[in-house]
Amino acid sequence: MSRTKENIPVFIMGGLLIVYGIIVQTGVLLPLLTYLHVHKSMDLMVTMSFVIGVIALVGAVINSSKEPGNSVFDRFVLQPMGGIVLLLIMAMAIRWYLEPLVIIMSKSLHATLGFDVYKVLNLNYVVLGLLAGVLLTNTYGIPKFAAAGVKCARFVLKMGVIMLGARYSFAELAKLGVYSIWLIGFFVLGTVFLVLWLGNIFKQPKTMTGVLSAGMGVCGVSATVAVAPVVKAKSSEMAYTIGTILSFGIICMFIFPTIGKLVGMNAVQFGAWAGTGILNSAQVAAAALAFNAVDIKTLKVAEIFNITRVLFLPVIVLVLATWFGKESGQKLSFKTVVIDKFPIFILGFLLLFILSSAGLFSPPEHYKGKYIDVSYNKRTEVTPEEWEVLNKAMQAGAFKELNESQMMAVTDLIHQRQIAGNFDERNDKTKFDQVGRARMSELEGVLAAVKAKQVRLSKEVGSAIKHAISQVHKKSKTVVTLTDCMIWFFAFGLIGLGMQITKKAIFQAGGWPLVIGVISGVAKATLSFFIVLWLVKDVVLK
Amino acid sequence: MTKKKKVVIDTGDAGKGTSEIAENANTQEMEERALSVFASERNEDITALVLCLITTFIVLLFTKWVV
Repeated sequence: MSRTKENIPVFIMGGLLIVYGIIVQTGVLLPLLTYLHVHKSMDLMVTMSFVIGVIALVGAVINSSKEPGNSVFDRFVLQPMGGIVLLLIMAMAIRWYLEPLVIIMSKSLHATLGFDVYKVLNLNYVVLGLLAGVLLTNTYGIPKFAAAGVKCARFVLKMGVIMLGARYSFAELAKLGVYSIWLIGFFVLGTVFLVLWLGNIFKQPKTMTGVLSAGMGVCGVSATVAVAPVVKAKSSEMAYTIGTILSFGIICMFIFPTIGKLVGMNAVQFGAWAGTGILNSAQVAAAALAFNAVDIKTLKVAEIFNITRVLFLPVIVLVLATWFGKESGQKLSFKTVVIDKFPIFILGFLLLFILSSAGLFSPPEHYKGKYIDVSYNKRTEVTPEEWEVLNKAMQAGAFKELNESQMMAVTDLIHQRQIAGNFDERNDKTKFDQVGRARMSELEGVLAAVKAKQVRLSKEVGSAIKHAISQVHKKSKTVVTLTDCMIWFFAFGLIGLGMQITKKAIFQAGGWPLVIGVISGVAKATLSFFIVLWLVKDVVLK
Repeated sequence: MTKKKKVVIDTGDAGKGTSEIAENANTQEMEERALSVFASERNEDITALVLCLITTFIVLLFTKWVV
């Protein structure tokens, strides 16, 4: 009887999930979910609610009817069940309700404030999840039934890092060329050593300095999670690192575009600087768009520089494993570092990266699952109405402001009704692909010129060209689903991580990590600014 | 027989309060393990990797191979 009482919260959570699943299934919540822009996830909501609800109820029944044991099933499934279900419910609430609500509220305040609060404070599921965990643990405390489940957080975070590998491919890295990779490698390693040196000067714990160096050198959350086990960092130190990186990134988001414009950086230079100096991926994208929302090259260069840093993760893990071993007074051979100390889950990250580069999930040249397919296909044609609009505009001479190559791209779009290479050359795939991509690039240039008010075209013509471009931009369903899994793993893990952070732990960390973070961040941003201005001219991408 | 010295480590709420362990034990390691359901880092990593590979296989099955 007492065991049933202990499992009442799990029974309630399971029941609530099933009821929620039924409510979503009936469509009653459709207006609310549409308002929150999460209506596309309704099927997932129903499936997850039913599956987790049923598992929770079955688990609670078993837990109520038997003595707690020490078998693998007991330790890894039955005992953590309550905590896992609680974390999943919190992750669902954050991803489907809190995050969209924060975005909507920020947008409604845009007119008054002049900026989006959620973008500036980076209030996405990462921050909201961590905050929710910290808030719960420091107010109500971790409920007794959830204590064992919260211990799964780090393990699930590791699964998130492994899944991260599926988003990138070697082809994207190869585009940068050896010269840019050296540049990125220099800054990544330089920052890591600078933070380690500063940590030594300010007499900070090695665990804190180790995890902060990876976060500041590579990129926010994933690097922090990846390095934490190697340097034996505590949850509070991981959270402190994530907080420092995000806070520093907020300042960068404002300062970088202003400085870039003041010194007259071109699109590629700013992209390279933002991709090197700003740490968090979302903040890199925001700064690139703030600098230049018209020329897509800025964002692309910034993102490629940023992802290349992520791919330095295994190298940094090796460096820090060696450093931590030596600092702890261990004699380390090459074998000890590479085989014994190297975390297996980082090998998982590499494995998924290799599979992704080999084209298992998407064509090998994809980037976060997105790729361009300019092969001749009936399905990628513009609609007959759009074709009519384009054809009439051509006959009326509406495209006379375009340059010669842009004009040729538009003429071919009307001729073939889609962006593709020359139909007669379809057997030479390389040439066909090159011609198709060049046409797409010219049409993107037309849209950019319209946005910059250099060329005047009617709204209908613009939207027809936009549709033609979007038709050749494909998205791999596999990578999108794997990315979704990664986001769920991170959301679950970060809430759990937040739950392990007490007020005491936060005060123990003090303000020094923030000082070290700011010094190293400013040093990296300043040095990369001069190096990019000096070395990066216009063309970085091969 | 001499009694072994014990030390108390704070493992927080998730670690169910405090644990008493031998003084010569690797307290840092113990503290970290108290915050995980796994007995060792290696077990945790291997399980994470296996579960990720299973997830990847299922995703491939339903998004690429079966459809």
